[in-house]
Amino acid sequence: MKNIWGSFTGKKAGRTFILPAVIILLALTIFPFLFCIFLTFGKVSFLGGLQIHFTGLKNWMRLFGDERFYNALRITILITVIAVAIEYVLGLGLALLLNRGVKGSTFFRVLFLLPMMLTPIVVGYMGRMMFNPTRGPVNHVLPLLGLPAVAWLTEPKIVLYSVILTDIWQWTPFMILILFAGLQSIPPALLEAARVDGASRWELFREVVFPLLAPASIAAILLRIVEVLKIMDKIYILTGGGPGISSESMTLFGYSLGLRAFDLAYGATIAFSLFITVLVISIIFILMTRRFQEIGLE
Amino acid sequence: MFKKVKKGRLIKEVVIVVLCAAVIVLGSLGSSQALAQKRFEGVEITVFTQSPPFIAKPVQMFRPDWEKKTGGKVRLITGPWAELYPKMFTSFAMGAKKYDIILFPAAWLADFASNGFLAPLDTFIAADTRIDWLDILPVYRERISTYAGTIYAITMDGDNHIFYYRRDAIENPEYQAKFKAKYGYDLAPPKTWAQVRDVAEFFNGWDWDGDGRKEYGVVEAMRKGDQAYWTFFSRSAAFTSIPGQPQGLFFDPETMKPLINDPGHVKALENWIEIIEFGVPGVINMDSGEIRTVYAVGEAAMAVDWGDIGQMADTSPESTVKGKVGYSILPGTTKTWDYVKKSWVDFPEVNSAPYLAFGGWLGAIDAKSDHVEAAYDFLSYLGSPENSYICVTTPETGFNPYRKSHFEKLAGWYGFGFVHPEDYLGAIKATIAHPNVQADLRIPGAARYFEALDAQLSIALAGEKTAKEALDDAAKEWEVITEDLGRESQLKNYRASLGLPIK
Repeated sequence: MKNIWGSFTGKKAGRTFILPAVIILLALTIFPFLFCIFLTFGKVSFLGGLQIHFTGLKNWMRLFGDERFYNALRITILITVIAVAIEYVLGLGLALLLNRGVKGSTFFRVLFLLPMMLTPIVVGYMGRMMFNPTRGPVNHVLPLLGLPAVAWLTEPKIVLYSVILTDIWQWTPFMILILFAGLQSIPPALLEAARVDGASRWELFREVVFPLLAPASIAAILLRIVEVLKIMDKIYILTGGGPGISSESMTLFGYSLGLRAFDLAYGATIAFSLFITVLVISIIFILMTRRFQEIGLE
Repeated sequence: MFKKVKKGRLIKEVVIVVLCAAVIVLGSLGSSQALAQKRFEGVEITVFTQSPPFIAKPVQMFRPDWEKKTGGKVRLITGPWAELYPKMFTSFAMGAKKYDIILFPAAWLADFASNGFLAPLDTFIAADTRIDWLDILPVYRERISTYAGTIYAITMDGDNHIFYYRRDAIENPEYQAKFKAKYGYDLAPPKTWAQVRDVAEFFNGWDWDGDGRKEYGVVEAMRKGDQAYWTFFSRSAAFTSIPGQPQGLFFDPETMKPLINDPGHVKALENWIEIIEFGVPGVINMDSGEIRTVYAVGEAAMAVDWGDIGQMADTSPESTVKGKVGYSILPGTTKTWDYVKKSWVDFPEVNSAPYLAFGGWLGAIDAKSDHVEAAYDFLSYLGSPENSYICVTTPETGFNPYRKSHFEKLAGWYGFGFVHPEDYLGAIKATIAHPNVQADLRIPGAARYFEALDAQLSIALAGEKTAKEALDDAAKEWEVITEDLGRESQLKNYRASLGLPIK
């Protein structure tokens, strides 16, 4: 009797086994993505079943003429650049400290990770309580230090920094985690050799540690850039995007128009424009850091 | 003797016959009643509404009783606020029949009814002896639950904005004397929004209740993305609504031209911006939930809200203002913009225009449901005078009074914890029954209009645009939305929502 499994080997078998995963991936990722692109050129109606009427570039023209879009884009990029930069610097400093094996470093390692384990909604509510103008602890402490109380969540020029502060508080631990792992993977022999060659502490950091940490740094920064560009939940709880539209991020803008106003096609256009933004910024960052990596390794 | 025996036997026989007949009649009545009560045996109806406790709680409360009496089953599905409209609309539009009953905000009725999604209820209501339809106050019975003259929903909750003030502050003789010296008129519960401004200024930034902490003038929901536009219309209604005119609040019912940037609305927004200075710090980032807490812990002299502040102030264990809160209809104005004549109209007395913000929650049935009769029976049971009274006097149901009988029986309100229920109910009833009461916007795309306005209001409140600039921009966006949705159909829907003949 012929063994039917006998010929079921090699590429044929491989393709068959991969097929379910491909189907699931197509159904859950690629199809919605393509559908989203399709929606950006149409108008949705549910009457008499789902209908999408082709409207050409109307949604895109509306987007490029919409002052709220440019405002949301500017705010999203500002939050991303400032928050990720500070998170990286703080994360690197704390990772270096922990790597030196200071007393109680295991305890601090766990302590530093706690904010990262909270959901953004919880962090948002905590921020809202902390920054409350009359009952919040932050404004309670500032006058004790001789500083004036601050309208953290109601002053358009300040509110962005309150959002950035909460993001830094929550996500600096992520930088610590990745960079600490990177530091741990540097061979001690390399550092020892540099020291024998007479390198100062600063030179040791600049010439050896920092370049060797580049792959971990790039991965951590890139992941955070992609995440912060999509920020919504914390802002939604902290300010709702206000006052005015001074803290409205791209995702919150898309949510407001797409799901609250139920303008699905325009919401999809905003969402897709955010995807393009994330893609462009990520490519620029990768290109910049590739050059930096080459310089560092030289 | 014989006669006696015969007579006695006769009486006995008659008694036995009567008893037997009674047993048979009562038995048959009982069995037919039991049959009638079990008429939905094997039927399962699905109810979709907001996540508990608010709004879903009454369904949870009365589901077991109804199931026991009728043999039917009620499946409750809930979702967060943001998911309600998309899920309801798509279920109806796609003919998915996912929900037999929806409990939904009144503002969406036109969206659903104009598309033929909801079952007409006129014949059910006419034949229903339990619902006591005429007990429901006219504005809910004739306007909120109807569309183009047909009843599509049963009112479950009577939402409207009322005005709150601190009695202990306003009735204080020392403060009354100081106020009169400063403003030249008597300190009393404000009758106009201009007086609200003065009273807010007077009570702002000092410890007027002697608790050792500063208090402030006013607190209102101003936060972007929440309830700010309802608070705004509660103010602008009096500036824009002439008694007897069909509508001056949203659109011109002849042309569908937005009225949102009329001088009346601009004046109202300017007044609203002005009082931020006299509000609890951070007021522009406060939603309804937060203002209720702030008011209940005694931080403000006045507030605008649905009936919830009244409930929280008197019944919450955290409240420090129990029994100290006064209630009234929303303040009015002495000058109102006439959108037809395009001029201001002076009122020797105050022009009030209370606003049915949000309009309450309604219960309606999917027109394609396989169990319309059972669904109606459950809605009728839930909204009956007795059960609805329990709902409006029970914490965390989210239901507020809307029937005459809700206002007449005070025992339940005292039981709820109210100190002055007659005043609280008086303010709500005066609002609902007011001849110039303004209903909320009830046309397709209402959420889009409100979202566009909400952003512009927030920009103006933040001081980034003037009131005029912000409302001009909102009007432009409203025109774009109207064009996008179709001016003719929008005009038709708008007129239908106002009860005007369709052109």
